[in-house]
Amino acid sequence: MNYELSDAHKGLQAEMGNFCRAEIAPGSAIFDEAPPDEAAARMRKNLKKLAGTGFLNLLLGEDLLGSCVVGEELARVCPSTFLTAMTSAIAFGRGVKRFGTNTQQERHLPLLAAGDGIGAFACTEAEAGSDLAGMQTAAERRNGHWILNGEKDLVTNAPLADFFLVFAWTHREAGLERGTTLFLIEREASGVTIGSPLATMGLRGAPTAGIRLENCTVTDEAILGGTAGEGWGRMQDLLEEIKLAISVLCVGIGMACMEESTSHAKTKKAFGKPIGLFEGVGAKLATMYMFNDIGRMMICRAACAIEQRDPESPVLSSCAKLFTSEGVGQIADLAMQVHGGHGYLKGAAVERLYRDARFAELAYGTSEMQRAFIARESLDRFRAA
Amino acid sequence: MYEEYFTEEHAIFRTSVRKFVEKELKPHVDRWEDEELFPVELYKRFADEGFLGLGYPEAYGGTPCDRFMSIVFAEEMMRSGSVGLASGLGSHSIAMPPVVHLGTEEQKQRFLVPVLKGEKIAALGITEPNAGSDVANIRTRAVRDGDHYIVNGAKTFITSGCRANFITTAVRTGDAGYKGVSLMVIDSATPGFSVAKKLRKMGWNASDTAELSYVDCRVPAENLLGGEGQGFYGIMANFQNERLALAVMAHAIAALALEESIKYAKSREAFGRTLSGFQVTRHKLVDMATQVEVAREFNYRVASRMEAGKDAIKEVSMAKNFACQVCDKVVYDAVQIHGGYGCAREYLVERLYRDSRILSIGGGTTEIMKEIIGKAAQF
Repeated sequence: MNYELSDAHKGLQAEMGNFCRAEIAPGSAIFDEAPPDEAAARMRKNLKKLAGTGFLNLLLGEDLLGSCVVGEELARVCPSTFLTAMTSAIAFGRGVKRFGTNTQQERHLPLLAAGDGIGAFACTEAEAGSDLAGMQTAAERRNGHWILNGEKDLVTNAPLADFFLVFAWTHREAGLERGTTLFLIEREASGVTIGSPLATMGLRGAPTAGIRLENCTVTDEAILGGTAGEGWGRMQDLLEEIKLAISVLCVGIGMACMEESTSHAKTKKAFGKPIGLFEGVGAKLATMYMFNDIGRMMICRAACAIEQRDPESPVLSSCAKLFTSEGVGQIADLAMQVHGGHGYLKGAAVERLYRDARFAELAYGTSEMQRAFIARESLDRFRAA
Repeated sequence: MYEEYFTEEHAIFRTSVRKFVEKELKPHVDRWEDEELFPVELYKRFADEGFLGLGYPEAYGGTPCDRFMSIVFAEEMMRSGSVGLASGLGSHSIAMPPVVHLGTEEQKQRFLVPVLKGEKIAALGITEPNAGSDVANIRTRAVRDGDHYIVNGAKTFITSGCRANFITTAVRTGDAGYKGVSLMVIDSATPGFSVAKKLRKMGWNASDTAELSYVDCRVPAENLLGGEGQGFYGIMANFQNERLALAVMAHAIAALALEESIKYAKSREAFGRTLSGFQVTRHKLVDMATQVEVAREFNYRVASRMEAGKDAIKEVSMAKNFACQVCDKVVYDAVQIHGGYGCAREYLVERLYRDSRILSIGGGTTEIMKEIIGKAAQF
């Protein structure tokens, strides 16, 4: 097994690191408390800048390992920008890229890659999170049209997005696997109302809101890939890549915590020496380092498995997400502890990172759901053997 | 429950505080959190209700009571759902004990009486930008000049510091090390004293937290508590109470987060049943409940040891570490049970998650507690 990144990936990583430190990092703290309009304008500008580097195009493309390696650089300097970018280019964009019709690809991909259009993924509802069978949003067939009604909640990017992938029933009796469809819905479509931005604990630069669909009428052309009833399978395929991207978010936040903590441990003195020289503090830094490194390895492994169409890839991406999201929770906690009271203050990077970290164990399947999935797959596999 | 610690009298008091919190505080807490301050009139209100004087001598307007009465009060205050509110209103409980223990009759009349009436606000000033846990190393200096001390330095993380009238301040009057530390009450009206800034925090938002500045601040010598060099002892004795209070806060916050989680798990449905219908959720709730129970029981036990006047330096440090660790875990799981909504500001657990993190840092970090325990146990 070769653990070495290719020269091409190393080059991209270095370039992206430099770009992010110069162009994105200076504004990352501002997102936390900026008024929604100002934050949205900044986020659009960030995506535009990222488009200029080719980063969004990379996320849209087939080089998964590359997008993970490079994405970590962005997640490290601005977790919110990474979340908005991955929601747009992966949760929405990869959906269009992998399953969209030619027309759909031609319409959306250039806008996404250029940062001129932002996508979002609308699945969760107030009464249907992990359990999508409880979903209410449905598209009804009438006179050759689809009429969508329902309400989505906690939709990342909703206040910014120009288009949405909306998960809805098209044939409830057929069950999730055959009776659901992903629709491409434009923000400007009639019957679409975006709620006001929700106040969230962390990742406050990636705005979140609910969406209401009221007799939103579309044609077959709005169905991702053109055929109704294939929503569930497509979402499962997409989730693999989304879980991987969330893992990257975690390692990025973890690396930022590590960076902040080591620099604090070197400069802050107590009892006559830098606190990093106390074994207790050193042990915390070591744990943080280990979590980040193992997390990164799991990401690489899952990315390679997906690229190679390894049947184990869904489980591996769940494992990566589970490990890195729980890991970053611990890392952020240790980082705060290393900083003492200073880390609890607004303005301290670790204060923000601590809140940012909490999202990962909840989004796109809570840790409980990841474990349930891994367990189910394991039971199947080992029974067969 | 807990008959060995609480009597009928405690129960009656608990009911009345609970009603007060429910009616007078809870409806306003969200607003005070958003505004990052509670109304100053509350101090007076708390004095009138007899809450401020709990545990202080009657001669100064207090209501003598045992430690468990204060615990009842603290537990019920946590049910407001705003740790900042409770801590802001309670800053006297760390600022005034040194006046009680080291102060003269005149000092008690001058400082303690108006504070217990709710007319003046008290804060404790120990931590400095470069000396937190390392108390013996504080740099704020007080130099004797006739009938006054000239104080120069800075304090930070001072709860209620922006609005306090009296700041019980740790200063260096002597040489380096703990023997050179003294305590004095500094009136915020003293020229040279100023609030350098109001600090903004992850949690405890309803309370104000200040960075304070002292520039050639002339403090009357009669404000010195005890003698020169007695400060460190006063601070350390105070710490025992503060640490028990933080431990109690931790188990009370955890209990509240657990209660919210049970409610949510019993009402939220997924896959055709409530969340509590899933074994993993039930077991998670059981783990949370077990931990809360153990933390609470141990806190009471340590409190009772302290109430009996026994030395409990090691035990109270253990209680703080244990309860704070439990609280961290329980609020984490509470957010987890709430799913995405656990990160939305409108849910109480979101605030409890942010509010609880400072407990393992304030009043001595987990690591400092371990140093103390290690020394006391002669490891």
